[in-house]
Amino acid sequence: MSEEKINANKQKVDYWKILFKNEWSYVTGAVVIVVLATALVIVTGKSWGVTGILHLWGGKFLELIGVNADTWSIYNGALGKFNFWNSIPSITNVGIVLGALLSALLAASFKIKKIKSYKQVIAAILGGILMGVGARMAMGCNIGALFSGLSAFSLHGWVFFLFIFIGAMVGSSMLKKWFM
Amino acid sequence: MSENIGRIARSSGRRTQMSDAQRKRRKTVQIITGAALIAVIIVMAFVANQTNPKGAYIVVIGTLLGYALQRSRFCFTAALRDPFLTGGTNLTKAMIITFALYSFLLMAINITKFGISLDSVDFSKAAGYIRPVGFHTALGAFLFGMGAVIAGGCASGTFMRMGEGFLQQWVVVIFFIIGSMIGGVAAPIVQFKSAPVVFLPQLFGGWALAAFVQFSLLLILYIAADIWGRKKTGGR
Amino acid sequence: MAEKTLDCLGEACPVPLVKAQKELEKMQKGDVLIVNIDHSCAMKNIPDWAREAGHNVEIDEVGEGEWDIVIEKC
Repeated sequence: MSEEKINANKQKVDYWKILFKNEWSYVTGAVVIVVLATALVIVTGKSWGVTGILHLWGGKFLELIGVNADTWSIYNGALGKFNFWNSIPSITNVGIVLGALLSALLAASFKIKKIKSYKQVIAAILGGILMGVGARMAMGCNIGALFSGLSAFSLHGWVFFLFIFIGAMVGSSMLKKWFM
Repeated sequence: MSENIGRIARSSGRRTQMSDAQRKRRKTVQIITGAALIAVIIVMAFVANQTNPKGAYIVVIGTLLGYALQRSRFCFTAALRDPFLTGGTNLTKAMIITFALYSFLLMAINITKFGISLDSVDFSKAAGYIRPVGFHTALGAFLFGMGAVIAGGCASGTFMRMGEGFLQQWVVVIFFIIGSMIGGVAAPIVQFKSAPVVFLPQLFGGWALAAFVQFSLLLILYIAADIWGRKKTGGR
Repeated sequence: MAEKTLDCLGEACPVPLVKAQKELEKMQKGDVLIVNIDHSCAMKNIPDWAREAGHNVEIDEVGEGEWDIVIEKC
């Protein structure tokens, strides 16, 4: 290769691609996620969770449309005390949406993906409800019970790991059968 | 990436809908919108600080978590599902790495907090979640795993894909919230008062043995995932 | 040499990968499979899988958040 050609190649380094576009490896993602989650624990004293507050969002929405749900047994006054800015999972959940949007936009790969078929709607409804019920029963989701639970040396995290695995296996065969 | 296009001969040719100039303009629009979004996030951080002194920090951490999840396409659901469905275990291995690293760090934080003695450990103040284990854990995790695969995203993944513009996940989150409310009623039925909290260092009589068990199990799982992946994808 | 296009636009994980795997199994050596996707996870897991299985892979970004994965069976 001539020297000119090498120089030309050098100039072609696309910093936008390096900084914003090229996807990270899974392991890079893993390390960054752990660093962020640890920082969250150190600063707030609370670990990363996602689903623990979702029922409160639902209750707040009911309040908004005029249904006073605060006296229901699942809330028992929790709605009155709820403040978005004091609810760490609420902020991080919205942050995750914004961060993913930001990542997609800066990489110029944002696209609204429309729902293609009614099967996807049924899958969304069924999957969403199962996840909601499951997370409440197990007192945590894949983040609260698995990531932040197993890593805290709690047996419930390991049990969650085993059974989410079995659940995923059953879910996979259901997906193959009915939702493809 | 696109520089290498064309090595594989295609009879149909490249599928392009736009001219280069058009594409460049649309790309610029997205990046500028992204820059504007950073401004929105900064404003949100300031607003958060009005109520919560740590609000801004939490906003930034949340945003970075979303960014990292999207940029690396990290997905807990795929990590749990792909071994059966496609035979791939790269994500499974990455997930096990997160558990190992985070275990190490949470152990450090908890030892700093409570000292090496296990008598003073207060579960409600511990870093990470240490909660009762029992039938409810097994049933809940099973339902959750099934739901996550069907919905195409777990808790973190659903929010991440909402940001990416996946309309299906916006439907998922609505029913996730409804499910959480139903679960609030249904959960007490399976959560027995007698369900014990089991903290491995207490079970094994010390941090040393607990750490040995924890990291050995993770290592065994990592190796198993690696072997499984090689077997399923043609043994490279 | 045969060529086939799979339209997986709007489909979420893992549907595109499973469909691609099924399709590729039916194909002959040297055939080309083109998968249209707009799911950011699939633009990583399909090429990852195909490379590990030893096929030739190209990722062609045809628009914002829309890719064609071109797989040549080997």
